[in-house]
Amino acid sequence: DDALDKSNIGNKTVDNYFENGAELGTALNGVYASLQNNNLHGREYFFMHDLRSGEFATGGGQLEGPRAQILIGAQAPSNGLQTGVWNSFYYVVHRANSVIDFAPKVPEDENFEASLKARYVAEAKFLRAYVYYQLLGFWGGVPLMTTHVTDITQTQPRATEQEVYQFITTELTSILNDLPVSYSGNDLGRATRGAAKVLLAKTYMFFGDYTKAKTQLEDVKGMGYSLMNNYFDNFTEEAEFNKESIWEICFTSSGNYNWDPEGNDFGPNESWIRSQEYSAVGWRNLIPSDALLAEFENNDPRLKDNFFFTGDTYGDPANPKTLTDAAQQGNLSNFKGVPQKVSWKKYSVMYKLDPGGFYDRNGMNYRVYRYADVLLLLAECENEVGTPTAAIDYLNQVRARPSVNMPAYPTATYPVNSKAEIFRAIMHERMVELAGEEIRNFDIIRWRKNGKTTFAPLANFKDLMPIPQTEIDNNDKIDQGHQNSGY
Amino acid sequence: QGVLDNKVSLDVMDMEVKTILLEIEKQVPVNFTYRSKLINATRKVSMQVSDARLSEVLDDLFTPSVEFVVVDKEIVLRPAPKTAKRSAPDYIPEIIVSGRIIDENNSPVPGVNILEKGTTNGTTSDVDGRYTLAVQDGNSQLVISFIGYTTQEIVVGTQTVINVQLAPDVVNLSEIVVIGYGTQKRSSVTGAVASVDAKEIAALPVPGVESALQGRIPGVSITNNGSPGTPPIVRIRGIGSITGNSDPLYVVDGFPINQSGGMSTSGVTMGGAPPTNLNSFDTKDIESVEVLKDAAASAIYGSRAANGVVIITTKQGSKDKKMHIDVDSYYGAQTAWKLLDLLNTQEYLRYGTDLVTNAGNALPTRFSNMNDPIYPGASQTYAQTNTDWQDAMFRTAPITQTQVSLSNANEVTKLFTSAGYFKQDGILLGTSFERYSFRLNSESKLSKVFTFGENFNVSYTKTANEIGTSSSATGGNRPQIQHIVHQVPYMPIYDPTLPGGYRAADASDGSDPENPVRNALMDQSKTDLVKFFGTAYIEASITPWLKYKFSAGGDFTTTRTFNDFPIYNDGFRARNTHNLADNRGHFFSPLLSNQITIDKTFGKNVVNLIAVAERQDFKNNFTNSSSQQASNLVHVLRGGLNPSITDGGDTETTLLSYLARVNYEYDGKYLLSASFRRDGFSSFAPGHQWGNFPGVSVGWRISEEEFMKVVTQISELKLRASYGKLGANNIAPFAWQSGIFTSSNYPFNNTPTGGSYFNQLANKELGWETTTMTNYGIDLALWENRFTFSAEYYNRNVDNLLLQIPLAGSLGYAVNYLGNLGKMKNWGYEFVAGYSKATGGVHFNLSANIGITRNEVTDLYIPNSTISAGSNADYGPNNMTRTEAGHPIQGFYGWKTDGIFQNQAEIDAANALDGDASTKYQDNASPGDIRFKDLNNDGVINLLDQQYLGSYLPKFNYGLNFSANYNAFDLTLFVQGVQGNKVYNGTKVLTQGMLRLFGAEKEVLNAWRPDHTNTDIPRAVSGDPNQNTRASDRFVEDGSFLRIKNISIGYNVPSDVLRGFAHGSVRRLRIYVSSQNLVTLTKYSGYDPEIGTRNNTNLTSGIDYGQFPQPRTIMGGIQLGF
Repeated sequence: DDALDKSNIGNKTVDNYFENGAELGTALNGVYASLQNNNLHGREYFFMHDLRSGEFATGGGQLEGPRAQILIGAQAPSNGLQTGVWNSFYYVVHRANSVIDFAPKVPEDENFEASLKARYVAEAKFLRAYVYYQLLGFWGGVPLMTTHVTDITQTQPRATEQEVYQFITTELTSILNDLPVSYSGNDLGRATRGAAKVLLAKTYMFFGDYTKAKTQLEDVKGMGYSLMNNYFDNFTEEAEFNKESIWEICFTSSGNYNWDPEGNDFGPNESWIRSQEYSAVGWRNLIPSDALLAEFENNDPRLKDNFFFTGDTYGDPANPKTLTDAAQQGNLSNFKGVPQKVSWKKYSVMYKLDPGGFYDRNGMNYRVYRYADVLLLLAECENEVGTPTAAIDYLNQVRARPSVNMPAYPTATYPVNSKAEIFRAIMHERMVELAGEEIRNFDIIRWRKNGKTTFAPLANFKDLMPIPQTEIDNNDKIDQGHQNSGY
Repeated sequence: QGVLDNKVSLDVMDMEVKTILLEIEKQVPVNFTYRSKLINATRKVSMQVSDARLSEVLDDLFTPSVEFVVVDKEIVLRPAPKTAKRSAPDYIPEIIVSGRIIDENNSPVPGVNILEKGTTNGTTSDVDGRYTLAVQDGNSQLVISFIGYTTQEIVVGTQTVINVQLAPDVVNLSEIVVIGYGTQKRSSVTGAVASVDAKEIAALPVPGVESALQGRIPGVSITNNGSPGTPPIVRIRGIGSITGNSDPLYVVDGFPINQSGGMSTSGVTMGGAPPTNLNSFDTKDIESVEVLKDAAASAIYGSRAANGVVIITTKQGSKDKKMHIDVDSYYGAQTAWKLLDLLNTQEYLRYGTDLVTNAGNALPTRFSNMNDPIYPGASQTYAQTNTDWQDAMFRTAPITQTQVSLSNANEVTKLFTSAGYFKQDGILLGTSFERYSFRLNSESKLSKVFTFGENFNVSYTKTANEIGTSSSATGGNRPQIQHIVHQVPYMPIYDPTLPGGYRAADASDGSDPENPVRNALMDQSKTDLVKFFGTAYIEASITPWLKYKFSAGGDFTTTRTFNDFPIYNDGFRARNTHNLADNRGHFFSPLLSNQITIDKTFGKNVVNLIAVAERQDFKNNFTNSSSQQASNLVHVLRGGLNPSITDGGDTETTLLSYLARVNYEYDGKYLLSASFRRDGFSSFAPGHQWGNFPGVSVGWRISEEEFMKVVTQISELKLRASYGKLGANNIAPFAWQSGIFTSSNYPFNNTPTGGSYFNQLANKELGWETTTMTNYGIDLALWENRFTFSAEYYNRNVDNLLLQIPLAGSLGYAVNYLGNLGKMKNWGYEFVAGYSKATGGVHFNLSANIGITRNEVTDLYIPNSTISAGSNADYGPNNMTRTEAGHPIQGFYGWKTDGIFQNQAEIDAANALDGDASTKYQDNASPGDIRFKDLNNDGVINLLDQQYLGSYLPKFNYGLNFSANYNAFDLTLFVQGVQGNKVYNGTKVLTQGMLRLFGAEKEVLNAWRPDHTNTDIPRAVSGDPNQNTRASDRFVEDGSFLRIKNISIGYNVPSDVLRGFAHGSVRRLRIYVSSQNLVTLTKYSGYDPEIGTRNNTNLTSGIDYGQFPQPRTIMGGIQLGF
């Protein structure tokens, strides 16, 4: 019978892995890697946010079914896009749980000090908290998986929103000291203390706790971040890890786009597909909504940083091309009463090259958190806690960025004489400053949730997405009765 | 030295003659055949001889009442002719008739009885098959009979030369059946075993034997699936597995071929495992195929037999001890038998304008610039262009095969050797399959005790894969049919101004189908497979009743799939580097087997007993690599950009087996077979590796009972029953473990840094799946076997299913959990009937079979759980199939349509159905959209309004074979079909779904418009806001079809003519024409109703995602014998 006793020479297994710090570190890299996958920041993550933010309109017939349905509020629990996003978020949770669970058994030694182990665990916990924040925003109370699963019976029912909130805030609070304020060299891109504090503040604000949020955001303010002089530097490959950037998801332009739903690959496939999906000369699946275009004040330079108009130049700055109507497939926008073609420029490679048809090698890092967002969140907190002067000051810092240089509040359109007027200015400033950065969807949900607005970005808007049908089918602790209302 | 010179020793007292004959068969390699009605074999004699010549023993036993004729190893016993005793004055002969008697292969048959009907006047044919007989007059009839062949009666009339071709009995009861680890007479078989002979296998021009079995055996369903070289889907008696492999086990000359499984531990494909297909074997080398259908018959293959066993036996040396050289060659042309009616340029513009405008979107700019030249400098405009993309992609494709074989035999050695070539081009551009094969089978007697033999095959196959299928995955991974039907008719195929020279729709066209011609002609994905496959054995006849056999075999296969995707720019899509991928695998499977066989007869008891110990290993390694060249002229990886190993693996698994079987027969009436196999397989979790697989079957030959012998019409009546347990082990090595994979990267600071993960939940109790099957059968033959009939009923239950459970997403594992969970049952009925008749020089055979299979999933892992599958955004918004307990596997599942909303008032009325007009009946419904049925009457259409819409499983499968010979002509007609199955017509979603702007079928011109409401086609609106393309009965069609699978007419050049040239060296010359799929009767509206699965994905059978259609073939061939 010895003949039946085979050893697995192809790979290690869970039973003999996590033996040293290097393996734990590699597993942690695997958590980051899964954030890039096709269902998350590589692709569907930005669709999920953007289709529900009111900032985007269909580019035309080329928008595929599952996306088109979300854009018109017709998503069903079987919608493949949101199901993929749900599953992939939990892949990240699983990987993070594994690192957290196995860390205690990894021996510490001179090459793997306790502080590094603590940082690894803290990074994993940050990534897990980040994912739960996303799950919470999209679906509300979700199954709270806090250890990696070892048996199929370990399914969990839906936790309450409050339980998820408690988990995220407790978790983040506990790891703040284990995360460094900054990294250098090939650690750039890892979770920083600033990132954890921004996430913590956003979570507090999601539940209307502006005081606690303000404390965290003020800490971030004290960490040395500042605005880039040029707004557009936040969206180029050349100015990654700049002083405004708090946390980025990393991509490189080597290799083709990787379509894997877990982000796995043997080759150097580390690019993202956004440029292809949105670019003026790409598929142009989504274009800016008329409402978003109308939101920009006259002469706000951020308009041209966010969007391409027919006649603009693009491509190699040394040998620029002129964008034509014909090169932009699909729909027209109505801007200032004129039907015309307007396309997304933010996060498109067209600022420096002509991608010419299908091009999937966008390597610029995705800025998850940047300092301008922090300043605007601070403005909101100050306005809520009753210090309007501070709020106006934060707003004006963002407008005073040299490349933007917009007149300070109050302006004729945006007076700031009351809490409501300041809030209106905050809404406006967030919309134009953070356009298309996958922030507005949760902003709106947060404001609606806390009674700040009843504005719905889309007809048929439902605050929560449906729990995916596959989860209901396969999770014995969730049935049809636990579905979010409206589905 | 002839068979009759063999030495025999006997010491028997009062033993029946037939038992003595059996005893002689044990000692000497001969078989006796006789008709019990003609020969009194129950006569008892005593005999004592030692080392006597067989001829002397037979003389003692029979002469003078019985004579014997030797044909190869066959000794035919029959009443001695009584011509000598005839008294001359009875009558005066008037006519002398002579002629030659040949068999179905046109070989002369000696020893055939030719009798003048109603008299005792007769003769037998000589070694050349010639005979001469004087008969009374023209009213006389010749009765021509020979064992194993249909008796023919021919009126003499004015003929003086009567040549006769014998026709084999439909079921030859003395036929030897291969049953695994041995053989058995057909009349003694108690399990459900079906045979297909060489002639039927060779009838169809197919790359592998699986396709040749289609329609031949009830209960065996074969579905062709894909481009040439893609193995068909073979299912024996229903479906064995929900998420695993349901393919049968193939055993070639005693060697079980690896089943590649298909699951892997990492979710990464097991690149090195050779495909489980038989394309490496030339079908013309095959002597017979036996299919073991029930558990008792297949339990001898225990752990791998749950899905049935197909035993393939290749040809051995010649039967008549002469050397034969045969050349067999054909050439044919294949075409698509059906095309769709697609939009032309004018219609496309009209349809596209409606589609885009109705969605409120801007028209593509091209629509207003149709008079532009199709490329800079061209004189032709888009408006003047009307490309027929079907015409560009479908072609008349050649198919050809040639085999040269030599067979010979002498007293010491038997030899069969062949060389063959097969080439089939696909009817779609860019696809083909080609094979070179060589075979050598030999067996030699080393001494009285030892025999050495070997079967050896080496072959090379080359497959050009369809671009967009799994083996040639590109970005979108879409089948070529999809691009063909989606293409824009005003687009040119070529554009000489672009890199690569091909053109596709771009931004200004508002549509983006890939150019299928470019895919086919530029992007190359080729799979080479070299297979060395052979077994050598030595057998020792230790005593007349005891044999020991040791055999060693090996299957060595190397595969290489090379993908060569050049640089191009079609105006929209571009590839900026020449992408090369080289995926190579080695597979080696050695088999060692020890077998003891005991054959013993005690009085009326006949016992056959085997015991086997055997070990088979499976070693598999593979490396996938890629790089990118800057030039299209360089076709190797070396020196390219980004050279990388993209995958790889190395595994070894072992199967240890111990088995025994006893076949017992009493008095030729009562039959019993019992077997037991114990298997240990290394891929299961420790402690769960061993499984036991018993089988037992009984039979009662009622026709042998005295009380039945009075019913002379009945020549055979047998009842059978069996029970057995089988296993399945189609799992990847270490599937029970949770492996750590390092195929993950994250570019911190733009520097790729390795990451690791595990994405599968371990199952340390992973063990055998168990199938239990009972079988009841009856065999009936009437009128000396002219009519035969068999019926079977079976019940097949699978327990501890090796099921890949889709886990709740929240558990975080990307790979489904593999466990022994779930139960499923299949049950069914099978019928075969045959009739053969020969009269007046015409003889014909008619056989028909029908298989009825039913399936039900009886239990899944958790109550009320469901597995949904089929979803693909190009084919609608949701899954098309659902699998749950209490229903057949993967039923089509969706909504029922309920007409079309004709106006807003109807929609408003529907919205108010639940008493609240503000809640929508269907989100986003507008006039012209489909109204779906509110099955639960809650006034809203949602997931709860879905229901089962039918099954891909047919109500029954059938086959009908007719063959007839008249003089030198022969005719074969083979009809095959399925009835009562449904197809989910995904191609119709592509061509009529109107999801977004693409080419379409002309039916879309009939779409609903306010001024055109009398239609069942909904409005054209891009984006499909009402989800008119949701899974519904709109796309579920009747998939029944009847095919004339083969019709063939042949002409045998008469031997008299042949003798006239080439110094008479040509023994036989047949020329024939035949056609495959000449006629297909079906209501299915797509290209072809024979739908398999897409890229072998689970639970998507019968969904037409743009299936490669089956061709119609017309061919001519020549068969030469020397």
